Amino acid sequence: MATSVESRIPADAGTENAAEPRRGALRRHANLTRELAFTQFKLKYTGSVLGYVWSLVKPLMLFGILYFVFTKLFHLDRGTPNFVFQLLVAIVLFTFFQDTTSAAMNSIASNGGMIRKAYFPRAVLVVAATLSSLMTFTINMALIALIGGVLGKLALGWDTLLVPLFFVELYALVLGLSLLLSSLFVFYRDLGHIWEILMQLLIYGSAVIYPITLVPEGLRAWVLVNPVAQVIEDVRHALVTPDVASSMQIMGAAYVAPFLIAAAALGLGLYVFNRLTPRFAEYL
Amino acid sequence: MTAAISCQNVSKTFRIPLDRSTTLKYRATHLRSSSRYHELHALEDVSFEVSQGEFLGIIGHNGSGKSTLLKVLSRIYRPDHGVVAINGKVSPFLELGVGFNPELTARENVYLNGAVLGLTRAELDRRIDGIIAFAELETFADQKLKNYSSGMQVRLAFSVAIQADAQILLMDEVLAVGDARFQEKCFDVFARYKREGKTVVLVTHDISAVNLYCDRVLLIDHGKLHADGGSGEVTALYRRMMGAVSEAEDSAAAVDAGDRWGTREVEITAMRLLDIDGGTHRVFSSGAPLIVEVDYAVHGAIDDFMCSLRVDRSDGLLLASPQATVGRLSMARQSPGTQGTLRYRVDALPLLAASYTLTIALNDQHGGHTYDQIERALSFRVIDERSRHGIFELGGSWVAEACTDSATQTPSAD
Repeated sequence: MATSVESRIPADAGTENAAEPRRGALRRHANLTRELAFTQFKLKYTGSVLGYVWSLVKPLMLFGILYFVFTKLFHLDRGTPNFVFQLLVAIVLFTFFQDTTSAAMNSIASNGGMIRKAYFPRAVLVVAATLSSLMTFTINMALIALIGGVLGKLALGWDTLLVPLFFVELYALVLGLSLLLSSLFVFYRDLGHIWEILMQLLIYGSAVIYPITLVPEGLRAWVLVNPVAQVIEDVRHALVTPDVASSMQIMGAAYVAPFLIAAAALGLGLYVFNRLTPRFAEYL
Repeated sequence: MTAAISCQNVSKTFRIPLDRSTTLKYRATHLRSSSRYHELHALEDVSFEVSQGEFLGIIGHNGSGKSTLLKVLSRIYRPDHGVVAINGKVSPFLELGVGFNPELTARENVYLNGAVLGLTRAELDRRIDGIIAFAELETFADQKLKNYSSGMQVRLAFSVAIQADAQILLMDEVLAVGDARFQEKCFDVFARYKREGKTVVLVTHDISAVNLYCDRVLLIDHGKLHADGGSGEVTALYRRMMGAVSEAEDSAAAVDAGDRWGTREVEITAMRLLDIDGGTHRVFSSGAPLIVEVDYAVHGAIDDFMCSLRVDRSDGLLLASPQATVGRLSMARQSPGTQGTLRYRVDALPLLAASYTLTIALNDQHGGHTYDQIERALSFRVIDERSRHGIFELGGSWVAEACTDSATQTPSAD
């Protein structure tokens, strides 16, 4: 018999189950999250002949178009070393951001049956959705690193060690936005369309398809306040070529701003999600 | 003794918007009118406690709030007022097959569902064969769930759900699904839960199931706790509320009545199923003693009467009908108001696992006139730990005689 402790759930307090030891509960929830994430990853690619390859085709297609338009037609790559890989890395990072937030937005609304008929921490669904996208991202990133390494197109240095930090920052941003969007989407369904439009703005606003040097010098720091742009810029700098200025070089002390924004997004996401959670079951 | 569940003054109100705005445009253009909603008081000031190991039934008509109550207990809904205290680990599912994905195989669904139950992959690795076997799906384990019949899905869901190592189980209409054999399995599991001292809260429409499984029943009506008591009384009350039992039978609230008729010169006032120690039960082991007690009251002048029992299996098969003449009542006992108890004792119940009903009749000694007869007055279950097949234990014995020449007569020899 598990030890059980009296738990009182006042009407206005959180609904965490104090009746079981906290660590055991955490382990079970982590286990559930992992199981859901792997299942979603598997489901995404089963039933199609090419399976996982599709997750590469989409960014590669985008890459092909942009590469042609911007290097062959507009010659944006002039004076920018190794623009092909810069573009590729940026597209994979941006695709991760876009796909994850869009998929996670649905993760509560599309699981109404489970939410109405079973009790478990609702955030598990959102975290699992982001993790399953993270798996795709990890594979894509590993492929780029592999190809880049073989072709000798990567420039590794001390700064490369910072890349995991940027990924953590990006993931915090993605998770925060996912929690925020998924809980709001339960109540406001047109958020889906709004987010789609914002994504179109963001891909141009985040210096994905052009080097930051195209932006007037005075505005560059402002563009990089956006964590998505900053992560792309810094990963380019740390992984593809040191000739690309890092955000720190461009922004100076303001460099902390995008990190603070990512952290704030996570905080806001958690706050809003927790506030709205009790109403999910009634509204779905 | 601490209560497993304590529910104090719990209220839950749903605001049902007259126009539900799921778009921002609507919210932006109807700022002032957004407060137009209809209030539905799903639960009002409901208080009760459930002891550890108790089987509690919650009944009520559709929309009475019984499912809402279960969701409040399971923390899916948060009460507007009141306090729910839970002492023990609660199983997360209210229904079977929640979270099943039709695109996954049975095996994959077991792992996913098991994770919701709080089981780890390693634990499930150990249990998976047993789960699939219990659901009788060995040959289909790697097929996608969408190719399963609904019966197969329910069996699988049930097999997984009973893996929960929870002390408190909350179930919403779990018994409404599945065929007779599935119900048998449900019952065996419930019997096991009872032995293990687990607390079960069962929301259902099925009055006979409530009578069979539950020690205590709550009747919810329009969000209020209408009755809280023994399953016999409360289900009888519910039947009357639903208009299933006529006015004349109101007096017999202590009797959980099926169809009942008779002239009532002698009346059945109560009836019980007892074990050898005198405890009332609805579940008996095959081979164990069973005692039927019928309390009667004489209202009119009669000489004698006959009491007969009839045992049917729940599907209607007549199994036995023992009778007894209660002869030559003395003059004193003929006077109205005389009461007595008849006891029918079976030393070793020969019936095998199934559910049975007991019909009780009081007739005149020729059987031509009915004083009081209650169809399916009591229902009970028999469980058989040896899982034998059939209806009853014949009680015979085997003797084997060796053949003279085993070499030539053994059919399996080649």
